[in-house]
Amino acid sequence: MTDFNEIKDTLVNLDEQRLIQLVNDSLEKGIPAGDILNKGLIAGMDIVGEKMENEDMFIPEVLMAARVMGKGVEILKPLLGEEETSARGSVVIGTVKGDLHDIGKNLVAMMIESAGLTAHNLGVDIAPEEFVRMIKEKNAGILCLSALLTTTMPMMKQTIDAVVESGLRDQVKIMVGGAPVTQTFADEIGADAFAPDAGSAAKIAKMLVNQF
Amino acid sequence: MNLMGLQGGQYCPLSPEQIKIVHEASLKILEKTGITYEQGLEDIVQMLEDNGAAIDRDRKNITFPRDMIIEQVAKAPEKVVLCGQDPKNDLHLTENRVHLGTGGAAIKILDPETGDSRSTTLKDLYEVSRLVDKLDNIHFLVRPCIATDIDEADYDINMFYACLAASSKHVMAGVNDEKGLHNVVEMASMIAGGLDKLIKRPFISIITSFAISPLKLCTQSTHIMQEANRCRIPVALSSAPMAGSTSPLTMAGTLAQLHAEQLAGITICQLTQAGAPVLYGGIPGMANLKTMGYSGGAVECGMMNAAIHQLSNHIKVPNYNSSGLSDSKVPDAQSGYEKAFTALLASMGGSNYIHHSAGMLESMLTIAYEQYVIDDEIIGNCCKVLKGIDCDAEHLALEVIDSVGPGGNFMTTPHTMAHMRTEYYNGNGVTDRKSREKWEQEGSRDIRQRALDIAKKLLAGPKSLYIPEEIDRAIRKKFNILLEIQ
Repeated sequence: MTDFNEIKDTLVNLDEQRLIQLVNDSLEKGIPAGDILNKGLIAGMDIVGEKMENEDMFIPEVLMAARVMGKGVEILKPLLGEEETSARGSVVIGTVKGDLHDIGKNLVAMMIESAGLTAHNLGVDIAPEEFVRMIKEKNAGILCLSALLTTTMPMMKQTIDAVVESGLRDQVKIMVGGAPVTQTFADEIGADAFAPDAGSAAKIAKMLVNQF
Repeated sequence: MNLMGLQGGQYCPLSPEQIKIVHEASLKILEKTGITYEQGLEDIVQMLEDNGAAIDRDRKNITFPRDMIIEQVAKAPEKVVLCGQDPKNDLHLTENRVHLGTGGAAIKILDPETGDSRSTTLKDLYEVSRLVDKLDNIHFLVRPCIATDIDEADYDINMFYACLAASSKHVMAGVNDEKGLHNVVEMASMIAGGLDKLIKRPFISIITSFAISPLKLCTQSTHIMQEANRCRIPVALSSAPMAGSTSPLTMAGTLAQLHAEQLAGITICQLTQAGAPVLYGGIPGMANLKTMGYSGGAVECGMMNAAIHQLSNHIKVPNYNSSGLSDSKVPDAQSGYEKAFTALLASMGGSNYIHHSAGMLESMLTIAYEQYVIDDEIIGNCCKVLKGIDCDAEHLALEVIDSVGPGGNFMTTPHTMAHMRTEYYNGNGVTDRKSREKWEQEGSRDIRQRALDIAKKLLAGPKSLYIPEEIDRAIRKKFNILLEIQ
C-alpha cells in the first residue's frame, strides 16, 4: 500500500521541483506509472478542483497546479501503456457562435484534462455545424458549450438543436456554462448538465463519462 | 433639482506625474507590443499601414509610431454633445463634466410583484425606460436589458424603439451588425426629420466593443464602429479588461493597457473619418480571482474608473466608463455601499458619461425597478457633492447672522426661505428620516419596499410615446416593431 498523500499535497502546494522529485522517487521504488498518475496527480487535482469550487484557491493558483501536474505527466507519459494514455473520455468544448470569450471555457478545458479526460478545445465563435462535425470526428462522449454574453445564449439552444437533428444526441451528454447561464436555462434548452465553475465542470464531466 | 453636467475632478487617484507615466507606457505598448486582429479586417490594416503603422501580416500584429497616434488622437473632438429628444436632456460631454445613467444588457429582473428573479422582456425594457424617464437624477438611458422574448433578428430596431418611445433622454446601445446600425439610424432619422437633423442633434449613439482585451481588434464591432463614424453618429469605444485575467493584475498595468487600446481605437476612428465624434470608452474592471467572474462592486473599480477619466482628459477626448455596480443579488446594504462608493469616486474623478450607475444588481446580470429609484437617490447625492459649497456673500450670510443676532433662530428668515429648497439635496422620497414611531406606524417598510412603491407610483401614469403618432405609424410600417403600447 503506497501513500500518495505527499504527491497530492505537493501538487496542492504548487511545488514543482518537489513534485518532479517525488514522481521520480516513486518510479525508482517501482510504483507503476499509472498509479502515480491516477492515485497521485489526478487525485491531487481533484482536491484542487474542490478547493476551487469552495473558493479556497484563486484561479491563477489552480492554473499553476495544472501546470505543475503537467510536469509530472511529462515524466510518466513514456512509461504509461497504450490503454492508460488513451483518455477515459473524449470531450468537445467550445464557445458558441457570435461569442468571442474564451477564458472561462479554456479553464474548463484545462480542468477536464487534469481530471484525466481528453478535451478537444475548438476555440470561440463556433458554429453549430462545426460542433456536430467535431463530435463525429473526435467520437466525443461529452459536448461542452460556453457563452458569456446574454445575447449569445440563444445560440446554445440552436447548437443543441443541431446536434439533435444530426442524430448524434444519444451519443453525447451536453454540458453548458458561462456567467449568465443557469440550471434553469440549461433545463429549458435541453442540456444534460450545467456547471457554475470549472472545478464542478470537471467533476460533472467525469461523472457523466462513468455513466456510459 | 437636476444637477447634471457639474464639474468633477476633485478626486485625482493619479498625480499629474503619474498620468504622464501611464500615458507614455501606453504609447510604448503600441510601439513595441502592438495590437492584433482577427480575420476580415484587412481593409483597416491597410488603412493603418498607409498612415504609418508597421504591419506584420504573418503574426497579425500592428505597431504604431507614437507620432501617428498623437496626430490622429488630436483630431477627435474635445466636446461631444449627446442630445435627448427633449433638449433639456442634452448632455455636454467635455472636460470634467459629469453625467450618470443606466447601462448594461441584463437578462434578469426582480419581478415587481413577486420579488423573484425572472427573464427580462421587451415590455420590461419599455417600462424600465419609462421609469428612467421619470427619475430626474438619471441623466441618460443606455439600453438596460435584453428583450429575451423576441427573435435575435429583431433585437436592434426593437430595443432602440422601446427606449425612444419611452424616454426623451439620450439613448445609447450596441447593435448586432451593420445592417442593424443602418436600420436604427434610419428610424432615428425618421424621428429627427432627416439624417442631417439627427447628426446635428444626435439623440442616439452607439456602443461598439471594438477591442477584445488584451490588445485585439474584434472584426464585427470594429466594422460597426467605422460605419458609425462614417454616418457621423457618436460612438463609445468600449473596451473592458478585467485586472488579473485580460489585463495585468495591478491597477497601473490595467490602466496602461486599456489606455493603449483606446489610443488605437480612436486612431482608427479618426483615420476613418477625421473629426468623428467618439467617446473614449475604457472601462477598467477586476476579475474575481476565485471565480474569474466580474467584481463590479469592488471599490477599486471606482478608483480605476476615476483614473481612466484622468487619462482620457489628458488626451482631451470625453469619456464613457462604468461605476455604480454591485455584486449583491438584491437591493441591500452591500449594494448600497458598493454603488455609493464607486459612483461617487467615478463622479469625483470627473468622468463624463458613467453608465451602469442605475438599476443593476448581480454585477451586470440583473435589474430591478426599485433599484433604479435607490440609485437615482445615490446619483443625486453624488451630484450634490460635486456642486460643492458656495461661499459668496449671499451664502456666507453675514447680514442674516447680524440681523438675527446672538441667541435668535434662523427658521423664518427670508434667507432661509430663499435657500431651503436648493442648498441641501432633498431626495426623491426613498430615504427614510422619519421618527421610529412614525416609521412603525407606516408599516416598518425597508428601503426596497419604499423604492418599489415610488416606482409603481411613477409608472401608474399614462403610457408615454415620445415618437409623434404619424412618424410612429411610418416606423411601424417600415420595421417589424413588436412593442404594443396601450
